[in-house]
Amino acid sequence: MDSDHDGGVAEGKKEAWPQARSRQEAGQDAPAAIPASVQGPAAEPSGTETETETVTGRGMAGLSLPYQVVAALALSVIGLLACAQVAMVFLHVSPSNTLTKQHGEAVDDWVYPEFEQNWKLFAPNPLQQNIAVHVRAEVVGAEGRRTTGWTNLTHEDGTAIRGSLFPSHVHQNELRRGWDFYVNSHDSENRSNGLRGDLSERYIRRIAMLRLSERDHGGTIERIQLRSATSSIAPPPWSDEKISTRPAYRVLPWWTVDEDDLPAREAERDAAQDRDAAHGVEENR
Amino acid sequence: MTIPPPTGSQPTGSQSTGSQSAGSPPVGAPRSRSGARSRSGGLGNGLAHALQRITASALGPYQSAVVRIGFAATYLFFLLRELPHRHELYGPDSPWHWDLARRLTDGNEAFSVLLWTDSTLWFEAVYALSLLSAAALLLGWRTRTMSVLFMVGVLSLQNRSIFMGDGGDNVIHLMAIYLVLTRCAQVWSLDARRAARKAERAAAGLAPLRDVVGPVLWAVLGPVLMGATLMDGLGGTWWLTALLWTLWLSAAAWWAANRYAPHGEPRTLLDVLANLAHNATLVVIMAEVCLIYATAGWYKIQGSRWQDGTALYYPLKLDYFTPWPALSDFLAANGLMVMVLTYGTVAVQVAFPFTLFNRRIKNVLLVAMICEHVGIAVVLGLPFFSMAMIAADAVFLPTAFLVWLGGRATLGRRRLLSRLPGRSRADDGTDGADGPPESRGAGPAKGGHGGPEEPRLHGGGGGHTLVG
Repeated sequence: MDSDHDGGVAEGKKEAWPQARSRQEAGQDAPAAIPASVQGPAAEPSGTETETETVTGRGMAGLSLPYQVVAALALSVIGLLACAQVAMVFLHVSPSNTLTKQHGEAVDDWVYPEFEQNWKLFAPNPLQQNIAVHVRAEVVGAEGRRTTGWTNLTHEDGTAIRGSLFPSHVHQNELRRGWDFYVNSHDSENRSNGLRGDLSERYIRRIAMLRLSERDHGGTIERIQLRSATSSIAPPPWSDEKISTRPAYRVLPWWTVDEDDLPAREAERDAAQDRDAAHGVEENR
Repeated sequence: MTIPPPTGSQPTGSQSTGSQSAGSPPVGAPRSRSGARSRSGGLGNGLAHALQRITASALGPYQSAVVRIGFAATYLFFLLRELPHRHELYGPDSPWHWDLARRLTDGNEAFSVLLWTDSTLWFEAVYALSLLSAAALLLGWRTRTMSVLFMVGVLSLQNRSIFMGDGGDNVIHLMAIYLVLTRCAQVWSLDARRAARKAERAAAGLAPLRDVVGPVLWAVLGPVLMGATLMDGLGGTWWLTALLWTLWLSAAAWWAANRYAPHGEPRTLLDVLANLAHNATLVVIMAEVCLIYATAGWYKIQGSRWQDGTALYYPLKLDYFTPWPALSDFLAANGLMVMVLTYGTVAVQVAFPFTLFNRRIKNVLLVAMICEHVGIAVVLGLPFFSMAMIAADAVFLPTAFLVWLGGRATLGRRRLLSRLPGRSRADDGTDGADGPPESRGAGPAKGGHGGPEEPRLHGGGGGHTLVG
């Protein structure tokens, strides 16, 4: 039974290593530990296999006092860190409470930016409205200035998502989250709340220009205007609620398109055309 | 205070520990004293046993392996799927322009190597490296390094365009960081296979092969880390810099210990530290998964639509979450089914953390949750989110089931390979556990991929899960 020279270090380790003749130990409670010889990716056992098992499976009992002290210290530090991590993450996702009111900043310092999380998925209530983002543009072309009709960008996203087993983030998240970002950083008068407001406006403009540039409008786009059409989802057939499904619009002001809004390829092409115009090359539109 | 070795049914084993430890004072107490101790110090012994257990081994090897494989696979498929859109998502064509990202992360200390320069070549390199590190992590090749590179890739891409992500990206973000601290390649990995081969060589009395790839990787990444630190490119958090440097230095410490004093106490200490980190991180991962479900559930019950059983109806009518409108309409048509699914979702999510203490209920709930995730993946068009959540749930799967799964996978792989022309059955014998069963530690462990055909229960009847 005592197959190893040193008898293994922990009874746990010994049981975890069922060799052919000790399979009858199967009845004992065994931790799901791995035999020492495949301990870690970097484990490089040299010497005989039993010495290998000795080295990598010894645990605390295989250390002398000074090393045990170090190990115990490490255990405390690691344990404290793990507890702190769990506690901080818990406080981060929990509703506002005594601790977070007093020490909210400490929790935020620990959690942001890499451990930020939000698990209020469809909670407290799922979204019960369809928010569509429309855009129209003022185009200057050969026939002069005209205003296009409203283009439903969300509908285009939806069409791309339909029938796809693996919808892309570009269709599912780009416009939706971009619009949410804008709405959350502007007030009802469409005034920005600071850095995030400015960033979100630039972001939304670039998304709109990216989508618009996918088709030809017969001229250059000088100004764009965005609006959201929020329509409630009709109540279920078995429900007797009465909810209007007429869309409510939130119209943003007209924005003049500048170079920063143009998608990279467009900007390059326009720059090239400008250079050509400067050199007197005719363009064919 | 010396920690007495655990006394148990094999006193001979525990006694000889003390005398065998190289050059250390006898750790074990003489038999009579330990006998007395076991009679009078039940709690002390239990504590010592627990302490020994968490320092001697990295628990949950199969669970951590399946988490590693799940997340690596999810992100790998995600990056492959988004290959045609990568420029618009994270690259030069992104509406979230590099300047915007720069301004945002200046304020929030986020880490992203893509913010070092806006060069397209650099972006392509980072994307390619993320793909490769995800593949390497999936296979379990040089996991200690590849898990770090995977984390760097995930964090860089996601923090570059933070508004392109969703819940699935959030889970992957967290787990990529946690996986770095785990020993997740003990099984089902190329590293396990390599370690087994080394043990074979050692047992056969051959000198160990000199490892070249490891030191080369270390030497290449060192200057990169140094450069990044000096140029303040590691984000604004102190812990990330500390973590990366600790890992890099500890790799050197491991190499030195293995090379110069493979049976010494420092080597054992390193092993103990690695086990402690792994076990603590596994607890954090489990707590994280519990928190995800608990939060999701406990916020839901505060909502009127979840309370009246109609909540599931609404996402089925949202433009962004209906890739199959006919299917969504069909599911939403029946009020009773919607109510059952709504209440069921809430019940499962709220109850999940508490069911961990009973193995049977936990397994039933795991099945229910995995089925729900599959449903969400198909009906709501969120496949990567669901894959990530299933991979996270897998940390609670029973060991026996995972071992069986590994056995099935090995079987399938062998059958597949044996059908290929030119590949003989003899090949499969070498990497499986077909070696003589009485051989050595290397035997059954060799097959990293599940070993012999029959499921190995590691001596535990019915398997032993991490919880209950």
